[in-house]
Amino acid sequence: MIELKQITKQYLGQAMPAVENLSLSIPEGEICVLVGPSGCGKSTILRMINRMIEPTSGTVTIKGEDVSSTDSDQLRMGIGYVIQQIGLLPHRTIAENIAIVPRLYKWPKERIAKRVDELIVMMGLDLEKTRGKYPSQLSGGQMQRVGVARAMAVDPPIMLMDEPFGAVDPIARNHLQDELLRLQKEIKKTIVFVTHDINEAIKMGDNIAIFDAGKLVQFGTPEEILTNPKNSFVENFIGHDRVVKKLNLYRADDAMQPVGCLVKESDLQSAGQRMKDAGTEVAFLLNEVGQRLGHLTFAEFEAGKGDLEGLRKKVLRTEKAFVQISTSLPDALSLLLEFDSDYLGILKGDELCGMLSFKDIRKHVYRKDGE
Amino acid sequence: MSWENFRFALFEKAPEALFEHSMIVVITITIAILISVPLGVLLTRPKYKGLGLVTLNVLNVLQAIPGLAIIALALPILGLGMKPAVVALLFQSLLPIVRNTIAGLIGVSPDVKEAACGMGMSQRRILLEVEIPLAMPIILSGIRTATVYVVSIGTLAALIGAGGLGNLIMGGLALFRPEYLLVGAGLGAIMAITLERSLSYLERRITPPGMRVS
Repeated sequence: MIELKQITKQYLGQAMPAVENLSLSIPEGEICVLVGPSGCGKSTILRMINRMIEPTSGTVTIKGEDVSSTDSDQLRMGIGYVIQQIGLLPHRTIAENIAIVPRLYKWPKERIAKRVDELIVMMGLDLEKTRGKYPSQLSGGQMQRVGVARAMAVDPPIMLMDEPFGAVDPIARNHLQDELLRLQKEIKKTIVFVTHDINEAIKMGDNIAIFDAGKLVQFGTPEEILTNPKNSFVENFIGHDRVVKKLNLYRADDAMQPVGCLVKESDLQSAGQRMKDAGTEVAFLLNEVGQRLGHLTFAEFEAGKGDLEGLRKKVLRTEKAFVQISTSLPDALSLLLEFDSDYLGILKGDELCGMLSFKDIRKHVYRKDGE
Repeated sequence: MSWENFRFALFEKAPEALFEHSMIVVITITIAILISVPLGVLLTRPKYKGLGLVTLNVLNVLQAIPGLAIIALALPILGLGMKPAVVALLFQSLLPIVRNTIAGLIGVSPDVKEAACGMGMSQRRILLEVEIPLAMPIILSGIRTATVYVVSIGTLAALIGAGGLGNLIMGGLALFRPEYLLVGAGLGAIMAITLERSLSYLERRITPPGMRVS
């Protein structure tokens, strides 16, 4: 959808070009993250898409149309633009700020008012309290929500975001990231997202382009980049916890295995036989009314054989070792350590649908690594 | 000092003098605004940025010439009357307005301009809807300085026959009538203070609500 062809940007009086011979095609309806250390040219690239900066050579096309042949104001009106400093007009109310681009398009008043209200609600802001306020009366997180709402006002197919959440506190940032991802599932915009934070890139990106000194080093999905970093620069940029970062890409249901066997509380003494029959190392125990009590491994059963009360206590120690299917693998790993347990029961709603062990996680990461 | 003289100065002489003086001030400040604000805008556009410093220096020099000297110089060149007085006073009032217009426009946050530009607002729109409104309080404060200046220096305009409150003061000096002097100087002071106060009120009113301190 957005195609950069052999783009070079050379600033006057600088020995090295800010961007050198870059070709990149940004797929439609996805988030493409441009990431790299500061000064690597990522913001310059972003700003060449809406012609805030003109390339020295090369072409940028959007849907096949060369942007340099369009009127720059018209072009920018059709592309959402969010910057770190937000840049809300301090003398205009929140509603007026969001209405800027619709006004440029000369929408009728009622349509603008309706759209503004819609966006304020969509951004999770209090409609009545926010509409008439001035930017200086909002918190940083709220202001950036308004910034995003303003960029989406006319529902542009493309959004350019330059470190949009860089200036808000970590908690608000996390929140904003989650919400943008949730929103993106519905709106399916082509988003070009610039950041210097690799964790943000992994979290937000469908694709990640890593830059160094004006050159594209690697382009691929987060999984590809984490699995096969192209060179030592990428490896260092990602950090030594590359594999742990990769876990962030998966949820419990990606790595879990089916439940080995279910045993009723009253059949506790036969649990060992049951596990043998099922060819598994772990049994989940249910009470008479079908409530989950916990789990017991074959080794634990063998060690405590005969002492039913002791076994029951062992099972109850893992009473809380259940997580929802959507839990991310790092969280699941942390819980395994927290409960000092070998297995976690995986729940789908209230239903036990699988189980997860250290080994499963390792196997999953290993399998992905081998691909 | 006699009450009779005072009454005569205040009720017979002052109204006309006050009117003339107001005319000088209004005409001068209007022309000064019409020249200075566009000049200030022009000098902050990227194309002409280089000229900014030069212009400010030239205006600084003009400002440094004493008001009396300018008025005196205007006489041989432009003759007698209100017109040369206005021209002379203009030289004194351009600098504060141009300087404040430039300061105000430069002070507008580059982030706000970048965002406005990124949304597709044309340069003209950004100037009219973003830059000027945000710079307005500072521009107005320059106009206020210039106005007070013109009111006080304007009394010297009587020397070249422009009339105004200066007439009363000069007359009082020439005729040894302190009452005339008192009325002329007093009204001049009141006029300066009133204009200063009301422009400063306007300045506060015009500051966008989102930007008012406290």
